[in-house]
Amino acid sequence: MPREIITLQVGQCGNQIGMEFWKQLCLEHGISKDGILEDFATQGGDRKDVFFYQADDQHYIPRALLMDLEPRVINGIQNGEYRNLYNHENVFIADHGGGAGNNWASGYHQGKQYEEDLMDMIDREADGSDSLEGFVLCHSIAGGTGSGMGSYLLETLNDRYSKKLVQTYSVFPNQNETSDVVVQPYNSLLTLKRLTLNADCVVVLDNTSLNRIAVERLHITTPTFAQTNSLVSTVMSASTTTLRYPGYMNNDLVGLLASLIPTPRCHFLMTGYTPLTVERQANVIRKTTVLDVMRRLLQTKNIMVSSCARTKEASQAKYISILNIIQGEVDPTQVHESLQRIRERKLVNFIEWGPASIQVALSRKSPYVQTAHRVSGLMLASHTGIRHLFSKCLSQYEKLRKRQAFLDNYRNHPMFADNDLTEFDESRDIIESLVDEYKACESPDYIKWGLEDPNNHLTGEGNATGTVEP
Amino acid sequence: MDSTIASPSTPKWNVDRPFLTGRFHTEGKGFSVDSFSAGVDKPIGLYHAAIQELILIDDLLYDLVGIEGRYTSIRRIRGKDDNVTFQVDASMDLALQESAKRLFPLCESYLLINQFVESRSQFKTGLVNHAFAAALRALLLDYQAMVAQLEHQFRLGKLSIQGLWFYCQPMMGTMQALSIVIKKALANNFIGSAVLNLLQSQAKAMAGDHVVRSLLEKMSHHASQAYLGILERWVYEGVIDDPYGEFFIAENKSLQKESLTQDYDAKYWQQRYSLKDDIPSFLANAAETILTTGKYLNVMRECGHNIQVPVAESSKLTTVGSNHRYLECIKTAYDFASGELLNLIKEKYDLMGKLRSIKHYLLLDQGDFLVHFMDIAREELVKKPDEISVEKLQSLLDLALRSSSAVADPCYEDLTCCVERTTLLKRLSTLKDLQTTQTVYSSSGLEEPVSITGLETFSLSFKVRWPLSLVISRKALTKYQLIFRFLFHCKHVNRQLCTAWQLHQGLRRRDMQGISISVSSLLCRNMLKFINSLLHYLTFEVLEPNSHVMHNRLQTAKSIDEVIQYHDFYLEKCLRECLLLSPVLLKKLEKMKFICLQYAAAVPNMITAPTKTEHSYVDKYKKLKLRTRSQTMKVAPEDATTIESILNFEREFAGELQSLGPILSSSSGAEPYLTHLAQWLLGVGRE
Repeated sequence: MPREIITLQVGQCGNQIGMEFWKQLCLEHGISKDGILEDFATQGGDRKDVFFYQADDQHYIPRALLMDLEPRVINGIQNGEYRNLYNHENVFIADHGGGAGNNWASGYHQGKQYEEDLMDMIDREADGSDSLEGFVLCHSIAGGTGSGMGSYLLETLNDRYSKKLVQTYSVFPNQNETSDVVVQPYNSLLTLKRLTLNADCVVVLDNTSLNRIAVERLHITTPTFAQTNSLVSTVMSASTTTLRYPGYMNNDLVGLLASLIPTPRCHFLMTGYTPLTVERQANVIRKTTVLDVMRRLLQTKNIMVSSCARTKEASQAKYISILNIIQGEVDPTQVHESLQRIRERKLVNFIEWGPASIQVALSRKSPYVQTAHRVSGLMLASHTGIRHLFSKCLSQYEKLRKRQAFLDNYRNHPMFADNDLTEFDESRDIIESLVDEYKACESPDYIKWGLEDPNNHLTGEGNATGTVEP
Repeated sequence: MDSTIASPSTPKWNVDRPFLTGRFHTEGKGFSVDSFSAGVDKPIGLYHAAIQELILIDDLLYDLVGIEGRYTSIRRIRGKDDNVTFQVDASMDLALQESAKRLFPLCESYLLINQFVESRSQFKTGLVNHAFAAALRALLLDYQAMVAQLEHQFRLGKLSIQGLWFYCQPMMGTMQALSIVIKKALANNFIGSAVLNLLQSQAKAMAGDHVVRSLLEKMSHHASQAYLGILERWVYEGVIDDPYGEFFIAENKSLQKESLTQDYDAKYWQQRYSLKDDIPSFLANAAETILTTGKYLNVMRECGHNIQVPVAESSKLTTVGSNHRYLECIKTAYDFASGELLNLIKEKYDLMGKLRSIKHYLLLDQGDFLVHFMDIAREELVKKPDEISVEKLQSLLDLALRSSSAVADPCYEDLTCCVERTTLLKRLSTLKDLQTTQTVYSSSGLEEPVSITGLETFSLSFKVRWPLSLVISRKALTKYQLIFRFLFHCKHVNRQLCTAWQLHQGLRRRDMQGISISVSSLLCRNMLKFINSLLHYLTFEVLEPNSHVMHNRLQTAKSIDEVIQYHDFYLEKCLRECLLLSPVLLKKLEKMKFICLQYAAAVPNMITAPTKTEHSYVDKYKKLKLRTRSQTMKVAPEDATTIESILNFEREFAGELQSLGPILSSSSGAEPYLTHLAQWLLGVGRE
């Protein structure tokens, strides 16, 4: 069975969103809590084998690996209603069960320590697929396990499966509330380095805006994790619809990503989804046409990244690429009209240094999930505005770093032993250059940024500054 | 008479005296004017006028049934068989002579009609003539009865010559009119519908004479009975039961329905049954309807459905009569047949399902199987067309289908693959009936590329069975295939570029700035954008909306002909909008795809080359950190040449893309869809 995708859920957050994701997939494919195909799920045309495989007794098993350093969340899954869905061999909980203490270094080194166990699981799962397309990692970047062990896994996957794609769904911490994890900026920075260097695509899920969306759009005063996680699972399942319900294009992950990601490093994607509902909460039913959906997708309030810090800079931010996945009963003749309308109204601000336009993928909707609206849409976009999110991470890091705060926790681990903090500096540099690259993307001269005046090269002089101020 | 029709052998006298008329009696007698009273003693003039009258009446009574009398004779004009005149002995009283001459036309008519009845009763003259002759014979019987009664009166001594004239008067007009008709029919040797037309036009022409008109109408009614019988079987059962070839619909048995699935130019549906020239005028308006009604019934019978239009006694065409009820009946039959056939094709043979399957596979509406297929068939497809094993491809295709979403589709087994020998451009130029928008392909621009591989010539085919082959004929399928080949090649280019993209992705750990990778990745992005936009245009702007429209139309289609028409229209529109009919554009796009492929093939060498000069991972970060990159990382000369060659690709690509602009905008006036394409490819909307 071709083009399989293996999901790795790491840490508390990763396992929670992963669980929601599988719940959603089961619903959409008509698979029961025990992995058995429901009687009503007879309509074919979907592809379950990308994310599931069938056991000898024909029940569907997710290609998922559940990994955590503390048992709480995974035990919850194992005692929950979906306990029979997963393959129990695919669960990893550290023996001591003590977690990573919200410390990236601890998570990273425990990852190293358990490498053999973890890689055994991954290899077994990879061997079980015919032509593995890649991995999907769900994690948060702020905690200990998801960020630390997730980072370690990213590096290892990159080495061992260099030909496979690695996509991550990375949850960024809420920057509006004071977190109980004080070292969050450290963890984020160190994880971001791996996301930049070791992942092919990062779907950024920003808890700040997930919360905002829950409050503003869904009118929930204090959103719970379960509620924001269900937003995440909606996005995850929607972004995989073209793989699961094949259409004209984007039937494989590489095709999907290649059209979105301009340069190897600028692979961070923003998402938007409309219309949003949480846990089948009765929502106001709105009229949904293709144009409505596409227009709403472009509104900042529906975008799940709070990237635009200040309005002045926000106005310079540009879209590099957009893919709208439209699900539901769509009159295909409307697509072109809607795109035309959006173009005329100049609703999208695209980069100037290359061709760009909104791509649309029409996809079937699961016949087994009833929704109140006819059309729903997901936007996957590469947008330069995302750099503000990274800048914020950087500045928060600088603040802590300047005070040399909380570094002791890290020094206990080999990577930072003997007060060797080069890892922090390297990460900082890499994130900074990433921010620069995104910033350069906003200028029409981006091509030259990549090229840095070829004549200089030909004369062998190079560029002294390393960055270009746009 | 037609000698090709083998007649049963008959005794000789039957040849000597082909008709049971009295004609042989007058023939071969060496007959002349003088030999008048050959068997008679003396000329009639010697008798008294009263006697003469009696003799004449007696003679005339013979003449009326076509037998010569003693003093009247039949004169045949040599060479003209049908032209006979009666003559009377010149010595007769002049007044009597005049009376006799007034009666002679009646006698001549009788002879003529009788002759006609006999000659047209022969089997080779066809059913209409038979029926007409039978009706005439019945009329002649009445006539003979009348003559017999006159004779009876004469024997009673109650008939004078004036009386005879009086009694014959009513017959005169009608017999005369009939003989005019018959003369025409004989002269032109009319058979079948021509006879009917003649009768009807004559009836119309005689509209003033009520008696004659109603007689002719009656005759035409009788004569058309047999014809309507044939018609009835055709419109109610779809069978041509026409031994004499009189019916106005001809069947061409050499056209087999199997040709539909094999022959690009199959004419089965258009020409298997066709209208002949001699359509009876009263059916002329309904002829097309009649033709299609039978055709539909016939199709159903060919499918093994013995369908008959339910016929009430009142709607039997043969009993309907001359008021225009038969047109209503034909309409009913047509509605029934067309509804039934449409139902059959849509429900039982699941036309929509088939079209949907074809869309899945040939238009890649569910393209996941293709991803897998291209994965596993890659090695086979890069070979030359002659070296490719189609069997192997087929088994790979089956494998790919089985593991894709297509398994749920019962039709997936009908998919076969084929490898053609020529490029898409060449193939298009060989299909002459496709109307290209620009001038025909110049033969010089058509030289085959040096090496074509299976990637350029691979195509899918779909087994279509009767009766769906009516709609999805070889021709329609060929058009689908042309679109498929175009899409397939675009997909191939897309895949190659994706592979190149992935190579770039693998190098992200290297510092990007200022080395060939970043230049290359931007070019890669532009090319990907190009091919994706093209695919996007082809699928979401052309195939999807058009097929949506077609499906809606098919839902409302009333007959199979409409279905065929809508489907053909859809394919034609798709071909046109997929640019397959504009060779200039197509050639341009092929060129650009070729550049993309060349680039994709060159990428592995170009961007992995610097690896040898690369320093170790850790070193690099040290340098980064110290910001001394510019000193230590002087661009290696090989990198410079790489950049140069990438820039070459870029220039070539950009040049082609630029030159596409004017072509698109210049022809977008006539072909509005090109504006859409231009927006996609050139990003016109990008301010």
